[in-house]
Amino acid sequence: MSAYLISMSTFVGFFMILALALNLQWGITGMVNFGVAGFYALGAYTSGLLAVKLGIPVGLAILAACLAGMSMGAVVALLSMRLREDFLAIVTLGVGEIIRLIVLNEDEITEGPRGLRIDAQPFGTLVGPELYPVFYLGLVALCVVLTYVVCESIRRAPMGRTLRAIREDDVVAEVLGKNVFLHRVCIFAVGGFFMGLAGALYAHYVQNISPEVFMPVLAMFIWMSVIVGGAGNNRGILLGAGTVMVFLEGTRFIGDFVDVLDAEKMSALRIILIGLLLILTLRLRPRGLLPEPKFRVNSN
Amino acid sequence: MSLQMIINALVNAALIAPPAMAFSLLFGILRFPNFAIGGYITVGAFAAYTFNVVFGLSLPLAAAGAMAFTALVVWGTHIIVFRPMQEQSAITLLVVSMAVTLILENVIRFFFSSDVRGFDIPLERPWKVMNAHITPEQLQIIAWSLVIGVSLHLLLAHTRIGRAMRAVADNPMLAAIRGVNAARVTAFTTAVCGALFGLTGVFAGLDLVIEPLVGWNLTIPIFAAAILGGIGSPYGAILGALLVGLAEEATILVLPSTYKVAVGFVIIAVLLLLRPQGLFGTAEIKK
Amino acid sequence: MSETVLATRGLTSGYGKAVICQDVTLALSTGQIICIIGPNGAGKSTLLKTIAGVVRPISGSVQVAGREIAGLSAAQVARSGMAYVPQEANVFRQLTTHENLAMGAWGDPARTDKARARVYDMFPDLRSLRRERAGNLSGGQRQMVAFGMALMLEPQVLLLDEPSAGLSPLMVRQMFDIVRRVNAEGVAILMVEQNAIEGLRIAHRGLVMAAGRVAFEGAAEELLTSKEVSDLYLGTRA
Repeated sequence: MSAYLISMSTFVGFFMILALALNLQWGITGMVNFGVAGFYALGAYTSGLLAVKLGIPVGLAILAACLAGMSMGAVVALLSMRLREDFLAIVTLGVGEIIRLIVLNEDEITEGPRGLRIDAQPFGTLVGPELYPVFYLGLVALCVVLTYVVCESIRRAPMGRTLRAIREDDVVAEVLGKNVFLHRVCIFAVGGFFMGLAGALYAHYVQNISPEVFMPVLAMFIWMSVIVGGAGNNRGILLGAGTVMVFLEGTRFIGDFVDVLDAEKMSALRIILIGLLLILTLRLRPRGLLPEPKFRVNSN
Repeated sequence: MSLQMIINALVNAALIAPPAMAFSLLFGILRFPNFAIGGYITVGAFAAYTFNVVFGLSLPLAAAGAMAFTALVVWGTHIIVFRPMQEQSAITLLVVSMAVTLILENVIRFFFSSDVRGFDIPLERPWKVMNAHITPEQLQIIAWSLVIGVSLHLLLAHTRIGRAMRAVADNPMLAAIRGVNAARVTAFTTAVCGALFGLTGVFAGLDLVIEPLVGWNLTIPIFAAAILGGIGSPYGAILGALLVGLAEEATILVLPSTYKVAVGFVIIAVLLLLRPQGLFGTAEIKK
Repeated sequence: MSETVLATRGLTSGYGKAVICQDVTLALSTGQIICIIGPNGAGKSTLLKTIAGVVRPISGSVQVAGREIAGLSAAQVARSGMAYVPQEANVFRQLTTHENLAMGAWGDPARTDKARARVYDMFPDLRSLRRERAGNLSGGQRQMVAFGMALMLEPQVLLLDEPSAGLSPLMVRQMFDIVRRVNAEGVAILMVEQNAIEGLRIAHRGLVMAAGRVAFEGAAEELLTSKEVSDLYLGTRA
């Protein structure tokens, strides 16, 4: 049982990093990123391929994954800053899907649907196999904390507050000039950095990655975490990510009690319930469980 | 470009033109890109399947039944989900529409599983046209698509209710001031769109396969066609569909066929960055 | 003996918790033009919107030819013989001029063709523009379409929100000529105008609103020559 809890908590950790990074992008720059799965995949495959095919040490591979995510973030931000949010969502969804298609298709390199087996693990040789899951959970928790601290700092910094205040208002943004634009690109890129990190951590944890994991549904789950938790509020995000994961995992247990349903039906039912949860949350509490505290104008 | 490619492009276009028109109409009312259309199309495909294979009706009857059923589903989701939330932000509505499509797809998956299915129709041999092939089903799709396009045009341009639909999509407040019952017109519009999505499901079942993801796979090409034609212009959507159909076929010349799906995304991205209003559109897509 | 064709009593309305119009009482008689003037934010547009049913009143009554209409929706008000021309977004940009006018006759489609012919007689320019999309017309032409739409079903009362807004001085003159002509045919007009001088010149009575309330009320010529009103609202003071 405890092995299961450790494993689930680790997955919650990945979700939390993704959700925090997404909220950084959405909450500060106002840019909607539905291509989360693509950034996640980019991180996973960059780190995995570098470690497996080029023998690069795990630590460096993970760093490379972060940088890859960051570069992708910068490119996407540069190209699509002026789009209306819902259409930007479609474009970023496209970016994510194209990444997945490339991974699926170029299977000589990526092993595609067969799955890429990754043996290398951070500190894998130093920590024994019984302790390793706990160690990894600690590593992931550390990364969650790191991500949280960075995201909160950006959010509270003067530039963060300014950007949040004007994120919807292009006229003000234009008056303030190029400085603002570059800051938005940088912050979006930082979000990409952490998404790449989450991907790399995921890859070295499950040790076998294939494209089916990186479907658009994943973006929905992460967005759910952001929305249910309360967009803009980082603590709420953590709560949201936890809630969504608990819900996802919890519904697995129903299968143990209800024998009539096979795996496919269970899976379908879980997604239906999540979808309903999302719609109900947005109907009844559109600002989430822990909404963003009202913006107060005072001198700090 | 060979004749076979042109035929394939025409079939592709015929498949996505009616739903692209419907999407444009819906966008006029809802003011956001509605991802639920994927789910609607899947519902149409499986409804037709049920009428045809399970109840044994002929395909035309099954198609009519599917159109009616899908109209009901689209109208229902409008009343229950989208209308009560219409004041919320576009992104919230987008996420909700994705949830709706996921729910619809998975309800179908729950009852039908992910197995690939087909209609119960006599197997016909393709016809040879010069050195290309076309199946009778494909010809039917093209023909009916044309009929739908013309009918929709007649409805919108030459009937009172059609004019009201366009007016409400253009300026709902002004329509009310001039005495139009906007709620009723909107409900009618959703029903018409629903019928179109249902028909698309039937076509998809004929030309592609019947499986829960059939609608989702068509969603992006449909968006691309609508945006290319100019969101808000149902006529532009037809031209957009033709161009998307051609682009998809052209891509297969250079890239492996799995990348066909990416074509739609690339078209959308390029358009939104360079010319968001598409060919004939007027709606606001830039901030 | 002229009768009251539109009356409000103690009309109060606003948006959400913000009260914009307070306790407005007025009466419009058959064949009369009342011009409402006042500084920005005085609640003039909101008053018109409330009468038209676009904004729900908080309290008070609105009667058209004796029938209570307060609280009815805009579409229901449209059937009461009163037509409202909003200041902005007052045409269907995607529809042609011809189709816009047809929308004006939505309540009684049988009269569409005849009514449209009448409107073309009144606005000859529109006849040549009838296949043009309203969105492609100039500001002045759009105003004519908006006006024409409202006139299709021969309303007893016209509510005009700043009919001269955004028009060139020549067009402003033309617009007010049309208002006068329409009024001469027996239509009562309640008009909000930023161009107070021109507005009061063609009106019979004037109403000055400030901070949501009726500040002055009287015959139009009196308001034109009243020193207080001219200093504060007509801009004769530098």
